[in-house]
Formats: sequence, C-alpha cells, structure tokens
Amino acid sequence: MTQASHPRLVATFIYVRTMTVFVAIWALVAWLTANPILLPSPLTVLGAAYDLARDLELFQHAGISLGRMVISIGIASALAIPLGLAMGLSRRFERIVDPTIEVLRPISGIAWIPLALFIFGIGDALPVFIMTYAAFFPILLGTVGGVRAVDQRLVDAARTMGIPQRTIVTRVVIPAALPSLLVALRLGVALSWTAVVAAELIGAPSGLGYAVEWYRELLMTPQVMSFIAMIGVIGYVCDAGVRWMNRRFAPWAQALR
Amino acid sequence: MNVKAANPLERYGAGAILPIVLLLAWQVVGAALHSPRTPLPSRIVAAAVTLVASGDLPMAILQSLGRVFAGFVVAALIAIPLGLAMGNSRAVERNVDPVVETFRPIAAIAILPLAILWLGTGTAAAVMIVAYAAFFPMIVNTVAGARNVNPTLLQVAATMGLKRVTIIRTVVVPAALPSIGVGLRIALGVGWTAIVAAELAVGAKAGGGGSGGIGQMMFVFYAYSIELNRIIVCMIAVGLVALLLDRLLRAAMRALMPWART
Repeated sequence: MTQASHPRLVATFIYVRTMTVFVAIWALVAWLTANPILLPSPLTVLGAAYDLARDLELFQHAGISLGRMVISIGIASALAIPLGLAMGLSRRFERIVDPTIEVLRPISGIAWIPLALFIFGIGDALPVFIMTYAAFFPILLGTVGGVRAVDQRLVDAARTMGIPQRTIVTRVVIPAALPSLLVALRLGVALSWTAVVAAELIGAPSGLGYAVEWYRELLMTPQVMSFIAMIGVIGYVCDAGVRWMNRRFAPWAQALR
Repeated sequence: MNVKAANPLERYGAGAILPIVLLLAWQVVGAALHSPRTPLPSRIVAAAVTLVASGDLPMAILQSLGRVFAGFVVAALIAIPLGLAMGNSRAVERNVDPVVETFRPIAAIAILPLAILWLGTGTAAAVMIVAYAAFFPMIVNTVAGARNVNPTLLQVAATMGLKRVTIIRTVVVPAALPSIGVGLRIALGVGWTAIVAAELAVGAKAGGGGSGGIGQMMFVFYAYSIELNRIIVCMIAVGLVALLLDRLLRAAMRALMPWART
C-alpha cells in the first residue's frame, strides 16, 4: 500500500513545487508590471475567483456551458453512432455516404458560427449546434473504425451458430467496437468543449465563453482569469470523466487509454 | 479488405450521387422560395467567382495563413526543444509537465480575451492564439517521440562515448521525427481552426476593427452586409485550406521521412 501511494505522493509534491514556482514568477512579473488590468497578481485572481464562487456566478455559467455540452454530445452520439454502425457494417452504404461526410468534415465547427448565427440567432441553439457539429465527426469516425476492426472470426462464429444479424450487432459488434467508440467520444468531448467557448464568446447570452468576454469588456482581468481557469478545470474534469467511463465500461481496452 | 484499390470511378460514382441529389434538392427548393437572399448552389458559385476574381478571398486566406505560419513557427521553436529536453531527461519532464498539463485543458479561444487585452485586436493577438493552440499537440508528440527511442540505440551511442548533445542530435531527433511530424500536422490543423475562431471573435468584439483574415471576412458578411452566399463560400474555403494543409504536410512527411510508416 505504501509502495503504491509513494510515487503518487512524490508526483503530487513535484506538481505542487512546480506550480509554486510558476505562481511565484507570475507574482513577481505582476509586481514588476504593476498594472492590475494587464496582469493582476495571483492573490487578486484568487480573491476574484472566491467572490465569483461565493456568488455562485462561476458555477452558474459553468453549469450552463456544461449542460449545453452534455446535450450536444447526446445529440451527436444519437446521430453519429447509428450512422457509424451502418457505415461500418455495410460497404455499399459507406461508399454512398462517406464522400458527403468527407466534404463536410474539413469545415471546422467554428467556421459555421456566422451562418449558424444567422439561422439560430444569439441563444442556446447556436452553441449546441456548433458543439454537436464538432463532436459528430470524431464519434462517427471512431464508430466506423471500431466496427471495421471487429475480429471477423467472432462475427463468423456467431453466424455459424445461427445467431440473427441484429443479435450479432448488439452482442458482438457493439461490445467489440466500444473501446474505439469511447476513444472517439473522448476526442468529441474535447473538441466540443473547445467549440463551446468560441460559440459562446460570439453568440450566446450566457455560459463561460460569454462570461470571459463580458469581464474583458469591463477590463476586470481577475474575473477573466477566474473564468478561464474554470474552462480549464471543466475541460480536465470532462476528460477524466470520459477516461473513467472507458475504464468502467471497456476495461478490456486499457491499451487504448 | 482493400476496397480502396477498386475501380475509382465505381467507388466515387456511388459517393457522388448523394451530394448531387442534395445540391439539386437545395437548388430547387431554394429557388422556389423566390427570395433573393436565400443561399443557393448557383448563387454560391457566382459569389465564389466574384470573391476570387476580385482578389478579396485569396488575400484574406493569405493573411490568415501568414498568421497561422507565424504562430506555428513560434510554437515549434518553443515546443520542440522543450519537448526533446523533457523526453530525454526525467528531471526536466517531471518539473515542466505540471505546467503543460495545467494549461492543456484550457482551449486556445478562452485565452483570446487575454490576448486582446495584452496585444490588442491585431495580428499579434491572433498569432498568440495560434501559437498557444499549436504548442500542445507539438510538445506532447515531441515528448512521446523522444521517449520512445529504441533504448539499444541510446546504449550503443553511450558506449561509443558520444556526448549527450551529440546523442540527441544524431540518435534521438531522427528517431523522434516521425512523432514530431504527427504533432506538427495536428498543430497545423488546430492552428487553422484557431485562427478562424480568433478572427471571428475579434471581428465580433472589436466592432469589425480591421484585423483582416478569412474569419473577419466571414463576420463582416454576417454582421454588415448579410451575404449568406459569401459566408458559405468562406466556409468552403476554410474547409479546402484545412484539407490542403493536411495533405501538404502528409506529403512532406512522406518525402522527408520515408522511414515513418504512418
């Protein structure tokens, strides 16, 4: 037990030490520039973050952005996973759909923002659309790749045993494709989280991206930095969450972590 | 298994049906609306011709590309040496990694307000965003590449009494290059996305204050003249440039590093 926790303890110590040095340099530079709008001191930022947290403002915006992301990932999965299964299972279907996908894929979600602004206006629909679009392609490609990589002998064995196609898909193909799908989901979450900030910065009346921009216009840099930190924290927590799901639901795919 | 080797005409023939049907349906339904603003494939083509012929679109793309390359070079100059040092020395890695991992989850666009605050709404802020976005894929892949060097090679080099610097230059760097190349390719794609986002946001928040670039151009078409056809032309251009950058870098990697198999 002690042996297992020892390296972790050392890693934590090194992390704290490194970040202490980083914060000390930051404090020094802040003190030298002496311009709290350009670079507030770490303590000022911490104070601002504490106030924002106490007023729950930090968590309200975070909750809104997070909620939008969950909805987007849900929609993207509901669209991309069945489509990916169909594309992975049927060569002919893939050949018909794939070029259309490949034409759209290089257009980043962010490039859709002006058109989507025109269609949806400023509000909830715009960030959700942009995030869904951003998450759709990695999830689709991961599903197709996962289905394609299923060991053909397993499918053949199931077929030999007279198992119907639908059961083969649910009991053989999907479990075998799950690791690849979860890796894709991780990528989708990361991309949609990047996109939400851009979408909210430009076209939403709430959320973390909006809050960052709002406080920048007010030149309240400590608040800006607090919200930026929150974006990082949630990005990290989401990634850790998907990795946890990976371990929990596809423990046989440790290598893919 | 190898379907790609099949008759290309047959392969793309089936795939061409869906886009053509979709475009035709769009054209017919859109034309039936009798609204001069509705984007239609035919109007998009006309808008594309106008924008390219006037030189506006190529200029905007070049401006954005210039920023991407500037940010890309800045990021590479920091990330590759640092990544090599981290991959070679456990001590450096342990001490630097926390900072990298702390900032990695923060999306580049989130830094934009700070970049505007520090550097204004011009090129410098946009370059900073690209550099920030490109830095992380570069450093992660450089570290991975430098760490996965065949230990036998390192031992052989050490046995021959080579200096650390020489080992890095002659053994580690060539072995890590394919992985670094992957990092560069990802970074270029991420940088291109970031520049569009940065220019859009700068356009949106600085009241269209002239910073130029394709993102800004799109925003102007959205906010000031509401030309949807032109916005779609810009979107297509964004996609084409992304595709082209990726293909170019892939080809360059194949030509420069034939030993890398991906």
